[in-house]
Amino acid sequence: MSKKSRSKLWFLVHSWLALPIWFFVLIVCVTGTLAVVSQEIVWLANPQMRASPPSDDARRLSYDQILAAMKKAEPQTLVSAINRPDESHFALDVDVNYPDGRSVTVYVNPYTGVIQGVAPTFNFKAFTRALHGWWLVPFTNGFSWGWYLVSFLGLPLLVSLITGLVVYKKFWKGFFKPTLRFRHGARIFWGDFHRLSGIWSIWFIAVISVTGTWFLIEALLFDNQISISSEPIIPAMAREAVPLSPDGSPAPQIPLDRAIEIAMQKIPGLEASFISLPGNAYSHLDIGGRGWYPLMYQTATINPYNGEIAASRLLSNRTTLEFVTESMRPLHTGDFGGLWIKLIWFFFGLVLSMMVLSGLLIWTKRTALATANALKRSSKKQRTATAQPSMSSETSEASL
Amino acid sequence: MSKTTAAPQPSRLNVLWHKWRFHLNILLLLIPLGFMPKYFTNAALIRGDTGLGEHEIGEIQVGPWSLRLAELRDEAPRRDGATGHVKAFNAALCDACIEQVKATYLRIGKPRSLRAAGVIFFGTPYRMGASLPVPEKTQADAELWITMEGWDGAMHQAAIPLSQASPATIAWLNKQGGKP
Repeated sequence: MSKKSRSKLWFLVHSWLALPIWFFVLIVCVTGTLAVVSQEIVWLANPQMRASPPSDDARRLSYDQILAAMKKAEPQTLVSAINRPDESHFALDVDVNYPDGRSVTVYVNPYTGVIQGVAPTFNFKAFTRALHGWWLVPFTNGFSWGWYLVSFLGLPLLVSLITGLVVYKKFWKGFFKPTLRFRHGARIFWGDFHRLSGIWSIWFIAVISVTGTWFLIEALLFDNQISISSEPIIPAMAREAVPLSPDGSPAPQIPLDRAIEIAMQKIPGLEASFISLPGNAYSHLDIGGRGWYPLMYQTATINPYNGEIAASRLLSNRTTLEFVTESMRPLHTGDFGGLWIKLIWFFFGLVLSMMVLSGLLIWTKRTALATANALKRSSKKQRTATAQPSMSSETSEASL
Repeated sequence: MSKTTAAPQPSRLNVLWHKWRFHLNILLLLIPLGFMPKYFTNAALIRGDTGLGEHEIGEIQVGPWSLRLAELRDEAPRRDGATGHVKAFNAALCDACIEQVKATYLRIGKPRSLRAAGVIFFGTPYRMGASLPVPEKTQADAELWITMEGWDGAMHQAAIPLSQASPATIAWLNKQGGKP
C-alpha cells in the first residue's frame, strides 16, 4: 500500500470512529465532565454542605466531639460512618439512621458539630455518576450492561487518539505555531479547533481512554470471577473477643479518638479522613485516608473494645499490578488532589466534548460538500458519463 | 469506510444502514430515560424512604424481643459471584430491645447452635441488612430462622415459613426444581 493511500485509510478510520453514535459519545463526555465537579455543584447549590468556621481561629473538632455534639442535638439518631471530604470547604458527610428506618447522609459542620442539614433526596452527585458510569442500567447480575456500553467507548477513543496523531502530520509543530483561523468560514475554524484542542489534550485523552478501557477489563474480570486482589478477607471477631455484660447492656467501646491515636502510632502516615463504625457487635471499626501517594487509600481495621489492630491495608501491601489498577479510577475522575485537579479535569472534559462536536461538524460539512459534489457529478455524468469515486473529495481533509 | 465498499451497487442492508444509522443515537439515549424511574425508585428504597423493603413481612416475636423484617426486593435471589444465590433482608429492632440485643442472625433451617446461627445482620438497630444464601436445592416448605443474641448471653429463636418471608424465592425454587 502506498504511503498516501495508507494515510487515507487512517484518515477514514479516524473520521468514522465516533460515528454513527456521535451523540451518545457526546453525552457520555458531557455527563462525565459534570460528574467531575458534581460535588462542587451541590456545594454551590446547597449552603448546608459548606463548612464555615464560626471565627478565624476556629479549630476542627475531633471525631468524638462531633459524635457528642450530634448526640446532644439528636439523641435518637445513630451514626454509621463519618467522612471528611478532601477539600476543607466541605462539611463532614455523616451517614446516619433515623428511628423511622431512613438511612441518609447529613452535613455536619466540622468546627461546631452542628447538623446543618440532610443531603437532598435527589443526589446529583450519585445521579451524574450513575448516568455517566453505567447509563442508569441497574446492576442485577454482576456488572450492568450499561457499564459495558459506556466503558467500551474507551477503545474507539484510544484509536481516535492514535489515528488522529498519525493523520495530523507533524502535529508537534502545532504546539509552537497554534493556528485558529476565524475568518475562513466555519469548516476551517472547526478544523483548526479540532486539531489545536486535540494536541493539547493528548495526555488527557490518553488518560481517559486507557482508564475507560480498564473499566471494561475490570467488569470482564469480575463477571468471569477472576480476581487480581491481594486483599485478605478479614474474619469477624471471635465470639470470645466480644465481652459479655452480665447486666445485659452493650459492652463499652474505646473512644474513636483513642482508636485513631492507636492506629496512627502503629501505622505512621495513616490519615483518618473516614471512619466506618462497627456494623454489629462482632465487626470492626475502620479508619482510613490517603497516604503519601494520593491515588490510593490506606485503612486500618480496629477492634473497638480493646483497640487492637486486626488488619491494615497499606500502600506497601499492594502488588505492583494493584498500584496500577487501583490508580485507574482516581485518574479517570480527577479526584485525588483537591479542587484544582478537578477543575483541570473539568476543563479538559469540556474540550473533549467539544472535540466530539467539532469532529462531527467537520464530518457533516465535508459530507455535505461531498454530497453536493457527488450530485453535481452525477448530473454531469448523465451528459459526459465520467464518474469519480466520491472518496477523493471526502478525504480532502487529509491535506489540510 | 462503509462508503468505499458501498460504492458500486449498494446492497439493501447498506441502504438501510445509511438511512437509519443516526437513529442509533436516539435508541441509545432512550436507555437512561427508560431506566430513570427505576433508578429513582431504587434510590428511595436504599434511603429507606419507602420503608424497610419492597416486601414487608411484619413484626416477628423472638422470645422477649421482636423485630420487623422485610425483603429488600420482592424478587428471586440474585447471583452473587462464588457465593451462589443470595437474598437480601432488612430488619429493625423493637425500641425496647435496641440496648439489649447484641446480634441478630438469619438462616434457612433450624440452627444447631449459636455458632451456626447463619448470616449476621449489619447496620444500626433502626435499619440493618443481611444477605442470606439460598441454595438451589432448598425445599419449598423450608423455614427461615431468626436468632437473636443478648449482651448477657441469652439466646432466643423464632421461625417463619420461607413462603411467608419470600414468596418470590419460593417461585424461583419451584422453577429451579422444574429443571432437569
